Amino acid sequence: MGLLDIDSIHKVYDEKVAVDNLSLSVPRGVIYGIIGPNGAGKTTTIRMIMNITIPDRGEIRFDGKPISDAFKSRVGYLPEERGLYKKMTCEEVLLYLADLKGASKADVAGRIGHWLERMELSDYRDKKVEELSKGMAQKLQFISTILHEPDIVVLDELFSGLDPVNTELLKDVILDLKRNGTTILFSTHVMEQAEKLCEYLCMISKGHKVLDGSLSDVKNRFGTNSIHVQYEGDGAFMKGLAGVEAVREFPTYSELRLADAADGNAVLARIIEQVSVRRFEFKEPSLYDIFIQMAKVDPAELQSEPEEVVS
Amino acid sequence: MSKMRTIAGREYAQVVRKKSFVVGLLLTPIMMIAFTVLPALLATQKSSSTEQLAILDWADDGTAEQFTEALADYRLADTTVPYYNVQGIVKVDADDLERQQFVRDSLATYINDESLRYFLKIGPNSHLIDTNLTIVTNSDNIRSLDRFERELTDIVSSRRLAESDVNLPVDSVLSLTRNLNLRTEDTRGESIPFFVKYMVGVVFFMLIFIMIQTYGVLVMRGVIEEKNSRVMEVLVSSVSPMQLLTGKLLGLGGAALTQVGLWVAIGVVIFFLQGPLNLSIDSSIATIVFNPFLIFFFVAFLCSGYVMFASLFALIGSIVNSEQEAQNLYSPLILILVMPIMIAFVVVQEPNSTLATTISLIPLFTPVMMTMRLAVLAPSVEGLSLFSGIGGEAMLGLLIVIVTGLLLVWLTARIFRIGILMYGKRPTLPELMRWVRYS
Repeated sequence: MGLLDIDSIHKVYDEKVAVDNLSLSVPRGVIYGIIGPNGAGKTTTIRMIMNITIPDRGEIRFDGKPISDAFKSRVGYLPEERGLYKKMTCEEVLLYLADLKGASKADVAGRIGHWLERMELSDYRDKKVEELSKGMAQKLQFISTILHEPDIVVLDELFSGLDPVNTELLKDVILDLKRNGTTILFSTHVMEQAEKLCEYLCMISKGHKVLDGSLSDVKNRFGTNSIHVQYEGDGAFMKGLAGVEAVREFPTYSELRLADAADGNAVLARIIEQVSVRRFEFKEPSLYDIFIQMAKVDPAELQSEPEEVVS
Repeated sequence: MSKMRTIAGREYAQVVRKKSFVVGLLLTPIMMIAFTVLPALLATQKSSSTEQLAILDWADDGTAEQFTEALADYRLADTTVPYYNVQGIVKVDADDLERQQFVRDSLATYINDESLRYFLKIGPNSHLIDTNLTIVTNSDNIRSLDRFERELTDIVSSRRLAESDVNLPVDSVLSLTRNLNLRTEDTRGESIPFFVKYMVGVVFFMLIFIMIQTYGVLVMRGVIEEKNSRVMEVLVSSVSPMQLLTGKLLGLGGAALTQVGLWVAIGVVIFFLQGPLNLSIDSSIATIVFNPFLIFFFVAFLCSGYVMFASLFALIGSIVNSEQEAQNLYSPLILILVMPIMIAFVVVQEPNSTLATTISLIPLFTPVMMTMRLAVLAPSVEGLSLFSGIGGEAMLGLLIVIVTGLLLVWLTARIFRIGILMYGKRPTLPELMRWVRYS
């Protein structure tokens, strides 16, 4: 039994199945990612967890008990569509939303300064929300999500619309939260982000669960059939090589997925014949590859962003 | 419960702390006086310049001269300047139709270019044929027309008297037949002029209308804002939609009551300071307004009526995406709220008629209508009871409004919990019905 257990939930909208018999279990104190392309049913699932949408059937349990009003005070929720009261000051908004969670005013007031500083918003404490930039407003809303010190934080599309600096900042904060025992459940359509952050994951596509488990389990299951090649010259021919199933090209390298029985060395020999290779590396498959393979979806449907290049 | 109080607290503070609250607090009574009392004052205002007349006389029986003489007695207020100036009497032969027409037309042009205000046409035997006396004018100054009628009546009556067999001096007969001014008083011996009752009725009507409309729209606007800013999703992850709805209704209702409370306080202070402030408040107005019975029902109908309408405003806010879209839906609501003003005049005259009683028991009309009837009736009825007469009807009305209000809150809550998270196309009526039934 995890902290949060989802048991065969099902939701249909106007004959379109949004979530199909989905079950998953979020262990206590982990970072758990729900991963899938846009429209896969991530937000619907999260809304059902938050008791905003009622599943047609199935059950969601928190701490072993069906979710109820008591759950609302123990969870922090960052919806996909962000927004706060524009006319209130940052401090007022934070106090109000924490108050609605039933947190003690004195405790919260003491923590506000710390979090505003950590999010580099100290100067805006008494400014109205409408004066903040979009990124700052997002960070403010993130503070409101965790200010009442919830047991579990639910973050829908956490990183959407954030610049790399703020993305790093939030990642650090999330790791700190986890260290302090908070369970984190987030959703994203960006596989690379999930890969860096989550320990457990559940991939969904078109409302179905594709696979779930801990990140290392998932990767082990798929072995090391992936190759990163850095080279000079035109690599277009690689798509046609024997033993290569798929090629994903990035600005500075290509990622090749081998057929199950293919010999990596043979592939290397054939590549060297045509381009000059700088680096050649066997790797575990990326979540992206696993997803493509498992969900049998057209890669074009996956609006994946290329991995950030750190030079 | 405490979450609802938190929401109510924010809603209350958001309104009361704003500058517009103070502005509304001061401006509303001023506007109300401007809309109700000023027109009445203006209508009875005295003219400040002499009014110009002419007489087209083709009877030549002395009527024109007598009339001119009678008008000479009228003076502009506080001056010795004559009120009327008869510029001339044009005598035309009764048979000369062509010339009659010509003079008539030229006098008419003077009226049109405003160098003349009235002209009087006097035909032969005007004491026998009413239609031979005609005032031609383009303005309806009731006060002047009243005077003309009275003076001409005297002149015509004296001529009739002279031609009759009665052998008495004209003046004594006229004073014998003079109309009496019938005094009216209610069972308590109070004599409250009709226009005062009407005014007080309308003021109470306006108070309820303005409060319900203002705060109803605020409820709706708040819901739309929370939907648009997407803060709604955060809210419903912390509180239930029912807590949100009731918190909003209570918070803004509290702000409305604060406003009314401050008005009443200001009114009481002015009433008790009228001596030092050198004001004179009509004692009949005070009799009507400072009636605990009326004040109790006013507050009760304000609160229950607010719940009824504000929940409908919340319902509208929950199913639309923008205020423009909401406008189409809530204008009928405001129309319903203001509609009883059309029959206010009748109701004040006949507050116990079947029409008035029936309309004041139709839930959406009850708050404004019943308060208005109470304002007219309560000061005159002795021994008011909550179980019979107007008191009983008011209690029944209150019960009806409370029940309707609770039903509407329930209905709104059913739709609200789904509507607040829906964006895009506005739901159709069948969809709304489905939401109501949805568990």
